[in-house]
Amino acid sequence: MRKSKTKTVIKSRAGKKEERTAYLCLIPAFIGVTCISYLPTLAVFVLSLFEWNGLTTPEFTGLSNFIRIFTRDIYLADSVKATIFYAFLAVVGAVLYSLFIALLLNMNIKGRTLFRSIFFIPYLLPAIGVFKGWQWLYESNFGLFNFIMRMLGLPPQRFLDSASQVIPSLVMIAVWTSGNLIVIFLAGLQNVPRVYTEAAKIDGANAWQRFWHVTVPSISPVIFYNVLTALITHLQVINPALALTNGGPSKKSMFMSYVIYLYGFKKNKLGYAAAYSVVFFVLVGIFTFILFKTQKSQIFGEGE
Amino acid sequence: MLSKKKENMLNWLFTLIVLIFALLVLLPIWWIFRSSLMSIGALNEYPPSFIPHEWLWSNYSKALETFDYWLYFKNTFTIIIPAVTFGTVTAIFCGYAFARLRFRGKKLFFNICVSTILLPGMVTLIPLYVFWTKGLGLGDTYWPLILPFLTGGGFFNIFLIRQFLMTIPMEMDEAASIDGAGRMRILWTILVPSIKPAVVVVAMMLFIQIWNDLLQQIIYINSMDKFTFAIALTNFTGSFGTNWPVALAATFMTILPGIVIYILGQKSFVEGIVLTGMKN
Repeated sequence: MRKSKTKTVIKSRAGKKEERTAYLCLIPAFIGVTCISYLPTLAVFVLSLFEWNGLTTPEFTGLSNFIRIFTRDIYLADSVKATIFYAFLAVVGAVLYSLFIALLLNMNIKGRTLFRSIFFIPYLLPAIGVFKGWQWLYESNFGLFNFIMRMLGLPPQRFLDSASQVIPSLVMIAVWTSGNLIVIFLAGLQNVPRVYTEAAKIDGANAWQRFWHVTVPSISPVIFYNVLTALITHLQVINPALALTNGGPSKKSMFMSYVIYLYGFKKNKLGYAAAYSVVFFVLVGIFTFILFKTQKSQIFGEGE
Repeated sequence: MLSKKKENMLNWLFTLIVLIFALLVLLPIWWIFRSSLMSIGALNEYPPSFIPHEWLWSNYSKALETFDYWLYFKNTFTIIIPAVTFGTVTAIFCGYAFARLRFRGKKLFFNICVSTILLPGMVTLIPLYVFWTKGLGLGDTYWPLILPFLTGGGFFNIFLIRQFLMTIPMEMDEAASIDGAGRMRILWTILVPSIKPAVVVVAMMLFIQIWNDLLQQIIYINSMDKFTFAIALTNFTGSFGTNWPVALAATFMTILPGIVIYILGQKSFVEGIVLTGMKN
């Protein structure tokens, strides 16, 4: 029905004009999609087949970059492990934390607007400021966290300088700065029709049952969206390595993005870095695919 | 059913829990601020004092001696102002086309745009770097950091504008078009003012995106006189070694502009995000 109507409109002169306006308006998006997203993604595959230091002519070497990555690369195993470990903890931590806070903020509490802003503040601090600040909080002798440890009668920890604690310590920072997820959860929670929860209440459902059987199903698209964007964001983690750890201690925070940066910009191996990007792309693709398999809900529906 | 009194008590209890969490969230920021005002000796005392005995504002002037704050401020905003403006304006155009106009290939193009949020930006880092520096010779300039924002700054922003425009009744457009206003006039004088919260959200998101960025600025900018806050602070604290109070003074100064801007745009921002409602 609608389709045929659209067609007749477009055939008319006004429809032609409307279409022209639409294409003009969409030029920026079109350039973005092609030049910022798809062409560079294709280019990375092409570049991965070359050896290039950025100065001389690139030399075609076929799959040798990939063979090297999978046989002799000094970072591959550590970087895959660090990236997955970090992303997993950060996604779980950030999503649970922000859902919990959003649920609290959705209740009839005093000073809601003020609290909402407070939980959002860490998200808008510049990354470098956050990491430099937290480096001080994690400082092994006089940092805040070791003061707290001592007050609780626990032995001081080395946090960022400890191979086993560096990832959890960095995840803490990621959780702290996940105010954007809180805001999106809050938006979702406010769309849950009040009648549903009220009806469940009358039927005698307790708070936990109401949460699990009414709230969660109603906000499941929002949960999915947050998990998806958090996953893609955290798999691409690089700032903590750039600002704080340089991949250490003992390569425990040697994230894949950071390895791409090292090869591309510190060792000037652009072709090799591109091949590493391809490997990274496949890894992110696998995780995204798995996530989509678990939930088929459509978030960005094209409705009119 | 809960009695009124019991419900009231529960609300206070939840408020208390939220308050405790809020204080925990603010604690790191306070701790950084409080440490930036102390002497090295006072920092090393045990037990630590929550409030500095002596407020050493001189740490800030010491930091300013080597940390060229206003230069970095100027440089950072040389990127932010055009990028945020371009991004917001182009997002409005694109969101408008998807929300209001009929054209062939709409659904297909919309879905292609959606798919870009699944492409990790890190993958395009090397090709885009080659394109900007080797292809166009724009290394060590701000252009590679600004020009990408001419494309709406990512699909989320376009989507947000579209969602908001779809909540405005078509009658608004029709009434104006009977009065003889053209599409662009309707868009900018009638529609944009009525979706102001969404426009503020988009501008804020773009601001935060650049504000939070470290990698792009590090790879494109080399000259010291072009350093932004992010690059300068990375190098500064490195060179300052263990003089924590001075390093933290510089850190605190760089996080301040973001907080000020947020407080200014806060009301529209929260309103805008809440109205988004993610679902169609």
